[in-house]
Amino acid sequence: MNLVPVTYKGGIYRHDEIIDLIDDLGGYIIQKHVLAQEVVLQALVPKEDIGLIAAIAKPLTGEITPSPLVGTEIAVVTMSLEIHHLPHASCDVAEYIRRFGAKTNMVGLARGFGKRIAQMNDEERDVINEHDLAVYLLGDFETCIQQKFPVLRRGIEIPMVVCGGPSRETLQRIIDPPVDGYVGNVGRFMHRTKESEELTKLDEVVEEITRVLDRKREEIAKDPPSVSPARLMDVINEQVDEIHEVFSPTPITVQMTGLRVKLPYDTFARVLRDIPIEEGVTIGEIADIVPSRMRDYILIRIRPFSETNIMV
Amino acid sequence: MEQVEYFEVECTEETGGAYYRRIADVVLLDHNLIRVIKKLHISIDPGVPIFIAVGVTRKLPGVVRLRDFAEVNATGQKIIISIGDETHLAPLLQILWERYGKESVEQPDRFTIVLSAEGQESGDIEDLPVFDPTESIYKDLIYALMVIQPEGFKVRRQWYGKEKFYLVASEDTLPENIEDLVREKFALMGERL
Repeated sequence: MNLVPVTYKGGIYRHDEIIDLIDDLGGYIIQKHVLAQEVVLQALVPKEDIGLIAAIAKPLTGEITPSPLVGTEIAVVTMSLEIHHLPHASCDVAEYIRRFGAKTNMVGLARGFGKRIAQMNDEERDVINEHDLAVYLLGDFETCIQQKFPVLRRGIEIPMVVCGGPSRETLQRIIDPPVDGYVGNVGRFMHRTKESEELTKLDEVVEEITRVLDRKREEIAKDPPSVSPARLMDVINEQVDEIHEVFSPTPITVQMTGLRVKLPYDTFARVLRDIPIEEGVTIGEIADIVPSRMRDYILIRIRPFSETNIMV
Repeated sequence: MEQVEYFEVECTEETGGAYYRRIADVVLLDHNLIRVIKKLHISIDPGVPIFIAVGVTRKLPGVVRLRDFAEVNATGQKIIISIGDETHLAPLLQILWERYGKESVEQPDRFTIVLSAEGQESGDIEDLPVFDPTESIYKDLIYALMVIQPEGFKVRRQWYGKEKFYLVASEDTLPENIEDLVREKFALMGERL
């Protein structure tokens, strides 16, 4: 079954019917927002059933749109989050990517500013590595980017998309070895993005991220995880009652090959490890459960089929 | 930035310079400082790295004295101050408390201050300087320049006075001939430091 990421927007009235429908079709609800009278669902649904959902949603004035970034967690890495330099370009970028379904986390480096003095500590590096992709928002000067970027990418193992003030071609020229994606003309600016050409630039960032993630998806498809992260989320939601008491907007964050569970590691790691997914297969057998560097959360890294020889 | 007589951003990188021109424009507009500035020259060299901003202000409003916003009546041993505009009331009270002591300053209602001061001429009090706007304007100006400057430039030197100001910033120790550099930038605007 080929699941595709979509966003459903509609009224609160009878929206539970849509939730039941997605569930019955074998899809998964990744996130549900209720905003006054409106409901926004981010879901993974079977590709062939999108027409059916759209038809059932029509009388409820709901609409379903493709959201390429649903089910991904993206780190927006910004050189500083200093109060004196607000508004930061990274705020708008992080917010805009969220509209396409991604869960974004801002990583404001403690000492990311400056050309010579820029540095990244091990905590920042590990937090970034816990995501599916990192978007780096650099400054306006190519001299600075050229000198500081090697320091900021040290130890980063996930795909990187670099945004900066110079043009795309300049970024490609000065960054060596190359990264996965580049967006030029998005550097430091001190205003909110409102004009149409600025919004086009943000669309370009989303396109570049989508392109890089599609390539990553293709790679993953060659050796898929032993269980779909969305399915694992459903299993945890059903079997761990405490997860419903977490007030975070996404108590379980779905990533491309794993999950971030916002429960304390010390108490719940063992519980999660022993949860059966199907008869005879527990989470601990097909996934690594490790402490996250983000607060005391739990990170579940699902092992690929080639390692476990199990597919559930 | 049309209101500013002279506004130039000089940078070794063309794209970076254009961005900083826009940033300076937005920041000064947001901080309501455009009308204060007469000339502004910003010079950035990310290679060194150094950021120099020099400028000249327009004629700033003078010192606000008590007579500008209040009426003073001396009756016997008491001086009654009737406040017309409350804006500078707080700094005025601070000054009066400091000069005469809190026991001699009474405020029966919001717009009246009764001062028990023997032998004081009402004329002296009318000339009392209450608020100097230039100080805060220059401070705001320097703060705005700190917002404009590249984020990592933590080593700074600033100066203001005589309708002129400058701010030099870098992430390294500033060069010793910094004043000469500043003078050069002032000369580009046709001014002397």
